[in-house]
Amino acid sequence: MELESALEKFHSLKLAGLIPKPESMPVVTEDTDIMSVLKILRTRHHVWVVKDKKSMELVGVIHYLDVMDIFLPPDAHKFKLGMTSRTLRSLLGGAEKAGDVAEREVLAIEDTATVLDALIKMRRYRSQVLAVVEGDVLVGEISLRILIDEFLRLLRVGGATWKSLGSSSQSELP
Amino acid sequence: MEVTWILFTIGVALILAKIGDSIIERFELPGVLGELIMGMILGNLVYFGIVAPQYLPIVSGSGFTTSATEIADFLAKLGIIFLLFLGALDTDIDQLKKTGVTATVSTVLGVFTPLILAWYALMAMGYPSREAFAGGVLLTATSIGLTVRVMMDLGVLRSEVGAASLSASVMDDFLGIALVIFAVGSGSLLNLTVKIVAFFIITGVIGWYLVDYYIKFAERLHVEKGILGMAVGMMFIFASLAEGWFAAAIEGAFMMGLILSKLPEGKRLMEDARAIGYGLLVPFFFVHTGAMLDMKVFENANALVLAAVMSVIAVIGKILGRGFGAWITAWGRGREFLTTRENAWMSLQMGIGSIPRTEVALVDLMVAIQGKAIPPSDAPKFIAATLIFITVSVLITPPLLKWAFAKEIQEAKDAKAAEKVGKIQETKERIKELKGSR
Repeated sequence: MELESALEKFHSLKLAGLIPKPESMPVVTEDTDIMSVLKILRTRHHVWVVKDKKSMELVGVIHYLDVMDIFLPPDAHKFKLGMTSRTLRSLLGGAEKAGDVAEREVLAIEDTATVLDALIKMRRYRSQVLAVVEGDVLVGEISLRILIDEFLRLLRVGGATWKSLGSSSQSELP
Repeated sequence: MEVTWILFTIGVALILAKIGDSIIERFELPGVLGELIMGMILGNLVYFGIVAPQYLPIVSGSGFTTSATEIADFLAKLGIIFLLFLGALDTDIDQLKKTGVTATVSTVLGVFTPLILAWYALMAMGYPSREAFAGGVLLTATSIGLTVRVMMDLGVLRSEVGAASLSASVMDDFLGIALVIFAVGSGSLLNLTVKIVAFFIITGVIGWYLVDYYIKFAERLHVEKGILGMAVGMMFIFASLAEGWFAAAIEGAFMMGLILSKLPEGKRLMEDARAIGYGLLVPFFFVHTGAMLDMKVFENANALVLAAVMSVIAVIGKILGRGFGAWITAWGRGREFLTTRENAWMSLQMGIGSIPRTEVALVDLMVAIQGKAIPPSDAPKFIAATLIFITVSVLITPPLLKWAFAKEIQEAKDAKAAEKVGKIQETKERIKELKGSR
């Protein structure tokens, strides 16, 4: 498959076909303690926080970079008008549960959107993961890792040969 | 030539602001105080005979033409607008929704007690009612940042008092920012009220429901920083509406920030907006405000009396108002708790936590001066008084909080010590057990 046509097909893929099962996603409930969240973040770039695992009502997300706010001492936080939200994520600020440190406003996308829509949204808001929601319910996620996997899978499944000469990625192809 | 000195002054002001911020932060005090002090030094270089007035366009009425000082004034005004926009954008609306009865009652009383005390005190000192009211408004909003930091250091931020203080202060900012409209707005009270209601319906209700579509439209433009530009553009339109209706552009900026804060896409604008605000406009506003302090004003005893009265009311008014508000609710524990020593002490802690004033007081001061609620002849006195009561409130709060929370700090220390003793005891017993088994 030509790289160009592979990308074209990749861009037009619907997210519904790519999103992982909720069981395989990093999901915790609001009352999960921060230490458990940190354990997950050793190997994942984010953790979804839901009200409870039955309803999967999305409460927020904790990103890998948020760990900095969790660990920083009080004197590293700047206090300006209205800006206490980051401080309150600090362990020294008394944060104990996942709900205390989760970012409530989560970037989301519908599962009917395409990979191209997701990529544009990710680039626009500098985010490497988007929640896939139905109303308030978390039904999946789309991350750069999933997109990379899918792109490589697409090239392999199509029996493609990498046409971009000089790319070091050629060696990765079957 | 003028452009040269305007650019030079902006450059010096920004560098000094950041250095001042850094120095003061080392003393665990709000950095804004450092920016103000740097402004005071810069603005009074003429007073000390170090610089000739024509080289200092940051000070209104210096040797520059009106247009040069107007540029500095306008940049500072943009700073206020961005400060409020950023403050609202970062506001946690959920925190406000969580506000319980104690926080609500204590906030309302904590805002109106210093307002009314100052209003009457200043009228008794001979200031006209409108000016006295504006003086009272300056004392309304708490700056929670310092209290949060001290409470965090003391380990009491997540206590009942800490949580109530936090949510009360979010509401406190809202009231402090809203009340300044009544100081600067013109026309009858009814006319003003109608304008305020209309403004909040147009910007609040419509904006709240249409902002989703507006951001989606901005996304479709596919241009560099398109969403930021569209959001800031709408913020200025809101600000112009508020300025036109009641001479308080900050209300529009604040509303737009709040509306955007409900969207994840809006929150993502924070870093870019913060770069504009805290990289240029906001520090310039603080330095400009400091520079407006004319040292000559201290040659007049009236300014010192005004500063003393406002400082006393700033401290006493908040402790009384917020403390009493918390006390009468008995922290939701029923009548039997009302007369207990614990209720009185917790309420005192709540009152002390609300003493610090910084940003909103400065914003309200500038809005009141620009809106002529404080006439130009009295502006130097109010600037001096505001800078003094801000400094007093910021300096006395940490030791007062430490005193008020002494029991909790001691209890935490005792608990830690007991834990250590327990661990040592446990280790000793294990060693004994091991020795016994051998």
